[in-house]
Amino acid sequence: MATEPQIYPSKRSRFEIRDNLWKWIFLVPAVAIILILLAVPVLWTLYAAFTDLHLYRIGDFDTKFVGLANFEKLLSNRSFWRTARNTVVFMLGVVPAQLIIGLTVALALNNITRGQKLFRTWFLMPLMVSPVVVSFIVGRMLFQEDIGPINDILRSFGFEGVPWLTSPTWAMVALMAIDVWQWSSFMILMLLAALQGVPPDLHEAARVDGANQLQAFWRITVPLIMPITMTALLIRIIDAFKVVEIIMVLTGGGPGQATESVTLAIYRTGVKGGDLAFGSSQAYFLLIVLMIFGGAYLVLTRRAMGKD
Amino acid sequence: MGLAAQKRVRTIISYCILGFWSFILLFPMYWVVITSFKNAIDMSIKATYMPFIDFQPGLHAWRYLFVDRLTWFLDPFMNSVLVAFISSTVALVIGSSAGYALARFDYGGRNNSIVLGFMSQRMFPGALFILAFLVMFRELGLLDTRLALIIVYSSGAIPFIVWVMRDFFEGLPVEIEESAMIDGANRLGVLFRIAMPLAAPGLVAVFVLSLIGAWNEYLVALTLTFREAITIPLFMTMQVSQTGYTEWWNMSAISLVSVIPVVAAGMALEKYITGGLTFGALKG
Repeated sequence: MATEPQIYPSKRSRFEIRDNLWKWIFLVPAVAIILILLAVPVLWTLYAAFTDLHLYRIGDFDTKFVGLANFEKLLSNRSFWRTARNTVVFMLGVVPAQLIIGLTVALALNNITRGQKLFRTWFLMPLMVSPVVVSFIVGRMLFQEDIGPINDILRSFGFEGVPWLTSPTWAMVALMAIDVWQWSSFMILMLLAALQGVPPDLHEAARVDGANQLQAFWRITVPLIMPITMTALLIRIIDAFKVVEIIMVLTGGGPGQATESVTLAIYRTGVKGGDLAFGSSQAYFLLIVLMIFGGAYLVLTRRAMGKD
Repeated sequence: MGLAAQKRVRTIISYCILGFWSFILLFPMYWVVITSFKNAIDMSIKATYMPFIDFQPGLHAWRYLFVDRLTWFLDPFMNSVLVAFISSTVALVIGSSAGYALARFDYGGRNNSIVLGFMSQRMFPGALFILAFLVMFRELGLLDTRLALIIVYSSGAIPFIVWVMRDFFEGLPVEIEESAMIDGANRLGVLFRIAMPLAAPGLVAVFVLSLIGAWNEYLVALTLTFREAITIPLFMTMQVSQTGYTEWWNMSAISLVSVIPVVAAGMALEKYITGGLTFGALKG
């Protein structure tokens, strides 16, 4: 017993030294990987956006700094503005549709008990399918103009077949339909989780106090699900701004440039065309828009909800 | 109308809405299944909807895929399997260790900032990375290799895993770990023998989600690979551009083979997956 206190402190400190070692061994690999594979590309792209770097000239020592030339080219480039407009139109089309479908289906789901788990599991399905397959199945096959089932059904009701992939407007609608098919589930599951967080007795109490169904919904449910709804919307808005894969498979950006998104334009100029400098400036433009938008969105929603 | 009747009407409307949306989700899946059993004749004149009623199903697309052209399909399939499993495993080990460390150790009071730093990656558009990756992996001589995809996909999955797992580990009682350490276990033992088994549901969720992410990824694969290391999504679009949307049945069969494993895994683990998917927003 008498020797115990003497051994113990040294054992203890050796443990602490080793434990302190583990503290860093656990964290450093993750930080290192993220720094190398995320921070380096972000900084490199920033550098590239201010040069005349081209994929087929890498290794040349006469890569020049061109200042803001790429960004000036970008702002005066009508083709780029076209893709920016397409991207915004796409976002404005899909996000509200997903919100409405998400809320309707989530309310229905929250309203039932039998079969709820089954529906929830089934609604997860589209989120597991790759965008390439979704675009192929839903898009290429269902919207096929001659023998696709959608036009076939329209014709059997006496309508004209819709030129889904050859008309600029309808091609955009088809793309939106694909995105809504796939991502409404995300809104459904998020909003269901939000609705299940609303205490049922609060609703009951409001009804007892004489509020009708609609009043109880607007005054109690809506404010309580607002925070999650706002976050879910932000996630979907950012994702919609980044849309590219379904477009590549369904329309390739066409007809003409009618459905080309910003990300597709970056791929086309930077990877296909090799113009890394111009591609990088477009990528940074997209990032800056996302950051300004995301920041403003967070500030505004926080403020709006703080006032409530 | 009494309260009970009102409630019954609401329930009926709810089931109608759910049935309608389920049908919208089901129809494309039904369509790809029946198309994989169709013959050229069934798709040349008009749309056909019901097997045995308006067309005779045949197995030729499946025979084509699994007998005639098996080797041709097997390479991208194996690439997808290897890339998805290895990248998710690497990301799981590195990401959950970091998540554990951020839950249990103090990094000068900056733990939250470190986690936020990891998550800021979500804001960056993928387009920002593909150009740099193209140059980076070209310089390293890793273009068109599985290694390049494994590196990119693991680094892409790590931030999400760190974020979710840190929260998960924080929810576990610290006392068990402490008593194990008093009994002489070190941190590594504690992490792998005590914390990880307790965190199994979280680990399963993030593992399957990163698996699905890697399995379905297209843009990076399109940028970095072109022949040897192509994954299934890329293989599919290459087939389409070669045959020019004529062999619908073969494409349908390939789609099904690529979709069924991940959809089955995701739906079987529904509870964990939904938790992992909605996690971010529920915390925010």
